[in-house]
Amino acid sequence: MNYTLRHTTRYHYSAPVTLCHSEARVLPRKTLHQQCGASDLIISPMPQVQAERRDVFGNRVLYFAMEEVHQTLDVTVVTPLNTQPLGPLPATSPAWEQVAEQLRGDNRFDMQLYRLDSPFIRRNDELATFARSCFTPGRPLIESALALNQLIYSSFEYDPSFTTLATPLSDVLANRRGVCQDFAHLAIGALRSVGLAARYVSGYLETQPPPGQPRLIGADASHAWLAAWIPDWGWLALDPTNGTVPGEQHPVLAWGRDYADVAPLKGVMNGGGDHQLEVEVDVMPLNDSAA
Amino acid sequence: MTAPVSPSLMRGNAGLVEDYVNQLGKGQPGTFDALLDRQGQLRPGWQNLLGALEALGADGRFQQHEEIQRLLAENGVIFNMHDDSHGRAWRLDPLPWVIDQAQWQTLEIGITQRSRLLNALYQDIYGPRTLFDAGLLPTQAILASPHFLLPCHGSQPSDRPSISFHGVDVIQDAEGQWRVIADRLQAPSGTGFALENRILMARALPEMYRNAPLKRLAGFLDKYHRTLTALAYQHRDNPSVVLLTPGPGSPRYFEHAYLANYLNINLAEGQDMVVRDGQLWLRTLGGLQPVDVVLRHCDDAYCDPLELRGDSQLGVPGLLQAARTGGVAMSNALGVGVLELPELADYLPALCEHLLGETLLLPNANADTRPATAPVFDHQLQRLTPTPLNLRCFVSRTPASVSTPGQQLSDYHVMPGGLAWVGAPGTPSLSSPVVKDVWVTATTPQPHVSQLRQARGPVVATRDGTDLPSRVAESLFWLGRYGERLDARARLLREALMRLMEYDQDDIADQLLDELLLALEITTLESDGENAKPPLIGFAQKRTALLAQFGEQEPQALQPLFAQLLRNARSVRDHLGDDSWRVAHQLRQQMSSLSPTLAPSAARRACEGLSAQLAAFFGLCNETMPHHYGWRFMDIGRFLDRVLGLLSLLKLTLNSPHSPGLALWEVVLATTDNFTAYRRRYRSELHPEAILDLLLFDETNPRSVGYMLKRLERQMDKLPGSSSPYRNAERRLLIQANAALHLADIDRLSHLADTPGAQEALEQLLDDLIAPLSALSNAISHSHFSHVERPRQLVSMELDE
Repeated sequence: MNYTLRHTTRYHYSAPVTLCHSEARVLPRKTLHQQCGASDLIISPMPQVQAERRDVFGNRVLYFAMEEVHQTLDVTVVTPLNTQPLGPLPATSPAWEQVAEQLRGDNRFDMQLYRLDSPFIRRNDELATFARSCFTPGRPLIESALALNQLIYSSFEYDPSFTTLATPLSDVLANRRGVCQDFAHLAIGALRSVGLAARYVSGYLETQPPPGQPRLIGADASHAWLAAWIPDWGWLALDPTNGTVPGEQHPVLAWGRDYADVAPLKGVMNGGGDHQLEVEVDVMPLNDSAA
Repeated sequence: MTAPVSPSLMRGNAGLVEDYVNQLGKGQPGTFDALLDRQGQLRPGWQNLLGALEALGADGRFQQHEEIQRLLAENGVIFNMHDDSHGRAWRLDPLPWVIDQAQWQTLEIGITQRSRLLNALYQDIYGPRTLFDAGLLPTQAILASPHFLLPCHGSQPSDRPSISFHGVDVIQDAEGQWRVIADRLQAPSGTGFALENRILMARALPEMYRNAPLKRLAGFLDKYHRTLTALAYQHRDNPSVVLLTPGPGSPRYFEHAYLANYLNINLAEGQDMVVRDGQLWLRTLGGLQPVDVVLRHCDDAYCDPLELRGDSQLGVPGLLQAARTGGVAMSNALGVGVLELPELADYLPALCEHLLGETLLLPNANADTRPATAPVFDHQLQRLTPTPLNLRCFVSRTPASVSTPGQQLSDYHVMPGGLAWVGAPGTPSLSSPVVKDVWVTATTPQPHVSQLRQARGPVVATRDGTDLPSRVAESLFWLGRYGERLDARARLLREALMRLMEYDQDDIADQLLDELLLALEITTLESDGENAKPPLIGFAQKRTALLAQFGEQEPQALQPLFAQLLRNARSVRDHLGDDSWRVAHQLRQQMSSLSPTLAPSAARRACEGLSAQLAAFFGLCNETMPHHYGWRFMDIGRFLDRVLGLLSLLKLTLNSPHSPGLALWEVVLATTDNFTAYRRRYRSELHPEAILDLLLFDETNPRSVGYMLKRLERQMDKLPGSSSPYRNAERRLLIQANAALHLADIDRLSHLADTPGAQEALEQLLDDLIAPLSALSNAISHSHFSHVERPRQLVSMELDE
């Protein structure tokens, strides 16, 4: 699929900001199934300093600093990209316990990076118990992971009014409601609590419903899902918000241990008072003849 | 290698060594001892030292010891002013730990190797990370450590070493082998204490010290200073180095102040600095000044709220990005804390082979390691006892090596000495009861390097020009304001207590006392409203309310005001002279003796003592501080608070609701200490007009509004930015106040007692003075301090717990 992604983040401050240092993760990364064209980046007001680098996860990080008094901040990125469909999932996979056991002694950085605790996700017994309803003894890893994906999709309610960034996972689990970010965190927490490795993926979702199918949740907003490590195969993406395996309709932005690693815009500023945030996201599919 | 024990030592009256030998025999046999070898012979380097201490006798030693403790306490006063529970509370043993050259060389080479190893390790952990996948690192322990900082990945420019200063805690084990307890890399502290111990030993035992063939410390720190400046990317000729401290709240603040003073570099807190244009800057009165190198005494995670801990108020937003792009050089690089991880110990031998191709020379201590012993004097200085010691050593990169990629053996330099403290292996140094100087013997007497004396010189600000940090200017301004407020309050309290003592019974109602309670804001005129306080009825209530001002509860009481004064003074400690600190210390001691249970007479005496000591404090400040911007801000703070205090007192007198008539004017004279001046001029007759002339218009009277406005004007004329042809807000406010005073119609003000018109005119005048002067403080803050503003997070990443 060919897309044009447009992602705008806009802050209105109630008081002037005299200095602001920011870090944005809004430039999509290249993946096995995704190529990105050159991004059009418009930051307003114009930053005095701007620099791009790769973080430890391989994401593209944009640092910029506004050193003149301003009262709004607008970051807009327009990126053309192309996604390809996933190949078929492997027909068989080892029992999940066997994988967990292997991972326990695995010294590789990436494996442990996504297996241990992270800022928003702490492993615990509650999450492990939740996971074990799908991760039954001897069950193949992929089958178990897909079951967890379905379990969250079918028994949790999408409710943007219920959670904020600061809502702990235990609240999400107890009340069975939340947003995509919560569900991704929950699934990651469950996987890690039984000793598996999983990472958080931020990205977008094409919202144009295919004919005859229901409209997917996550329209006009950033989306988040997760990916679980399958040995000898790779990272299996899971979207518990929609109960699907993300493919070419899920353009990827960045990944990390959890939301804290991939927050689209972070900043430290002097002044500013209260602020209002506006986010606009467009995922515009281009038909093949136009591309 | 061993020297025979001199007969005099063995036979000596006190028999220090003989006694020590006996104790050793009863201990763990075969344990290595620093003083005696396995044949019971003195090791090299100790003999002269012990001979000298033996010759002093127990009494002489005790006197030396007392002298050392007195000097220690004085340094504590000068550099710390912390609560006694904070910071070091140790004694310095008069017997140093002597380490001979052979032992020292083993240690030196081992420490140098360790520093090279950790430097190479940093490059991989925050770079290609090949060692994890090769199974050479404890991946899970590192990832779980709060000191492993993912944002530091790839952040250290390849042309600067990640570690240019490294502290290593070691012990000697029972076999005499040196073993490492811990590495100190984030904020390697202890150099200041090592230096202090050496200086105190040199002062207390000058003969012993001067003749000893021991390695001097000054050369090491001098070299380290040059290493720091060599780290700079720009301004290579005259780079600016700052010591980043968490501030006076840190238990290590003593050392930060001491070290900054010794190295003659700026002491700065995170809020004193800002990152702009990719460069680190110090906020000063003259604007932003570039900072080239940061000597970091603040833990990694707290240094940058943008990329590291978002809740930190100690760092500078954007610091990591500035370091990444060469906008500032760090000593040490951010993220080095992970190398302090104890779990690394087991992996170091293999890592050393892998990274350096060498065998690890210094093994880490483990749970089975038994420590060696060394002689330490007991409290009475009568006996030496075999005691386990910890030693912190320091190694730094040489100046020439810091901007060349790669590293060689000769690029490192170990401090010939260190901080030794008594305690089981690995116990923290700050809580140790006894510390020791460490003497590394040299083959020939070493020249005494004069720099050691430098730190004893008067502590006066040498950078008081426009490069004065804005925060320092602000603290000095508030130091002045709180000092004056405290003084004014002490004077009013003194008057009130005198009235209380004179009319020590209920049947003689004293309206003057009520007036003073109003002036002290212990009572209020309005009986309802937001700020109203309940009226005080009867003598007992008034007495209790007055004496409550000597407790800690009331926000305007003496102790809380003093706490504010001290807080501001501490954060500018390197801008005030030593003598001022001694007075501040006395003030603090006096303050801690205040309590609401004092008798009124004792409380009154305390007030008088307070005023005198505050005068001494500011007098010494005036005498010792260079009369540059810092001093001017303090002076402006003082006179602004003083003039506002006087004006509100005059206004209260005018409105005196309890109508005591002329008596209150007498109080005004007394609280402003103008009673004598007035009496000399007008005998004992009270004329309000004459008092007004003395307190308002007489510019020769330092307590008059006229004088104070003149003084404020003079000081403000010399502030940065005052040469501009356009008058700024604070100048306009001062002109407004001056105009009100000079245009006052004196004739209308006469006959104050019996003319309502005169009272009205005076009230108008006072209001015309109070309004602009009240606004002046904010205007000054705005012009000179306003850019000191706490940064905030755009998005909070904190979880609800």
